[in-house]
Amino acid sequence: MVASPDVTQKDRGRPAVAAGPAAERPVRRRGPRRDSVTAAVKAVVGVLGLFAVWELVVALADPPEYLLVGPISAFVELAERPGYFAENTFITLQEALAGFALGTALGVLCGAALHYSTTIRSFLYPALIAIDTIPKVALAPLFIVWFGFGFESKAFVAMAIAFFPLVINTYDGLGSVPHELQELARINKASAWKRMAKIEFIYAIPSILSGAKISISLAVGGAVVGEFIAGSKGLGYVIMLANSQVDLPSMFAAFIVLAAIALALFFLVDLAGRKLVPWKQHTR
Amino acid sequence: MNNEYAISVNNVGKTYRSRDGADNTVLSGLDFHVRPGQFVSIVGQSGSGKTTLLKTISGLQDPTEGEILVKGRPIREGLEDIAMVFQSPVLLPWRNNLDNVLLPLEFRGTRTEEATRYARELLEMVGLGDRATRYSYELSGGMQQRVAICRALVTHPELLLMDEPFGALDAMTRDSMNIEIQRIWRNTGCSVLFVTHSIPEAVWLADRVVVVGDRPGRIVADVEIDLPRPRGKEHRFSPAFSEHATEVESYIGVTAGIS
Ligand SMILES: Nc1ncnc2c1ncn2[C@@H]1O[C@H](COP(=O)(O)OP(=O)(O)OP(=O)(O)O)[C@@H](O)[C@H]1O
Ligand SMILES: [Mg+2]
Repeated sequence: MVASPDVTQKDRGRPAVAAGPAAERPVRRRGPRRDSVTAAVKAVVGVLGLFAVWELVVALADPPEYLLVGPISAFVELAERPGYFAENTFITLQEALAGFALGTALGVLCGAALHYSTTIRSFLYPALIAIDTIPKVALAPLFIVWFGFGFESKAFVAMAIAFFPLVINTYDGLGSVPHELQELARINKASAWKRMAKIEFIYAIPSILSGAKISISLAVGGAVVGEFIAGSKGLGYVIMLANSQVDLPSMFAAFIVLAAIALALFFLVDLAGRKLVPWKQHTR
Repeated sequence: MNNEYAISVNNVGKTYRSRDGADNTVLSGLDFHVRPGQFVSIVGQSGSGKTTLLKTISGLQDPTEGEILVKGRPIREGLEDIAMVFQSPVLLPWRNNLDNVLLPLEFRGTRTEEATRYARELLEMVGLGDRATRYSYELSGGMQQRVAICRALVTHPELLLMDEPFGALDAMTRDSMNIEIQRIWRNTGCSVLFVTHSIPEAVWLADRVVVVGDRPGRIVADVEIDLPRPRGKEHRFSPAFSEHATEVESYIGVTAGIS
């Protein structure tokens, strides 16, 4: 359950429209290729540095093994039981992805409904905000009552968490279309479908993607919380089991795997964003 | 009324009703007619209702009083003949210039090979023929506004509404755009309603300058500009030009000329 590293204000709201004299800037930029390579190198160095500091602290303080272990022990643990970790990671990944996919689909649908229907908005918006104040993990026990101890209940917890950022961001994004474009569409009698397909949804993509970036990490966390509460599989279960056996190497190994998959998923969504929204890189 | 006018604004009034029930009458008793092919500039203080007038003429808003006829027909049916250019170009960043120009036709479902050819011709006409497949971030503000003008012209409008189209441009670019818009107007033969804050610009371009007074917006003067065409840069400094500009200025409050 890694904090999303890159979800900041700069990604929210409207895509910058190249408008007016603001666009008269030099087009020359540093090669995007080189930029991302150096960024990746820096990121790797950062993570390795973190591991080094962690190992050093453990070496110097020499805490008992039931309190803290270093990353090396964790990696050794991973290497010794690769099958065990791979299997449980796969379970958590499936739950998280299913929840994320469902939450995204529902969230986008709901956000669009809020934008396009004043009736739905006036009924649903206050209710949604009220529900949003409930910590979604608190719903986990309920989902287990409803959907049992298996895959579904965890996927639904992940979905419940992934859903809200997408509702809000879809709604925001659809509302960010400049009024001139709406007027252009109306003057030319564009049908509602054409307006959505040619303007509104494309305008909303950057905003939807930044919602998805938040949701993907949240979904992994949701799945793990579901596994904490009930289950005999998944990384959440691995952590609980390690806890009961005071097996810290195994626990830290699970943390590392969790962080790694959350990070990987985050960058996958980010990459999808770059493919889907190539124009955004130019209009910054 | 009369079919010989490109547009007839008959006694039009517009009142916005705010939520607290207070009425804000923005336009009142507006009455003017534009002959086909005429270039009419509209000037007036900020907030006098010029944008409201254009929106009402384009059918984006209904007048609360009076009626607007385009070629003798109520605007509801006449929308096809109208196009609008806004102060900022608002091009779609994910479309190249050609596809931006063709957007109105996609809205109408009439994008064809022939239309694409025409769109290219338009870009050619505004000097952007070699940029058809480029994106707006690669263009200057003036170039972007030219693409926006092509986007307006691609539907072969008979009436072109422009709301401070060059307001965001620097003085030099603005001058060259003024020369360009005259050429475009000559080539297409459409009628133009051109809102601007600049009196010299209004006089330079127009056959008539309509001065709108505020609170509520109404016509305070309708000045005929009988200067010869085509009007190059040199005309801007002719005594006849200054005379007209001074006359228009006299109908507006002192602050309106700045901007
Ligand atoms: N949708 C609206 N609802 C209520 N009042 C409005 C609305 N649109 C404009 N107004 C009011 O109408 C008046 C005229 O506005 P308008 O935008 O037409 O002026 P304008 O002449 O175009 O001004 P500017 O030169 O600054 O662009 C203003 O007082 C404005 O507050
Ligand atoms: Mg205005």
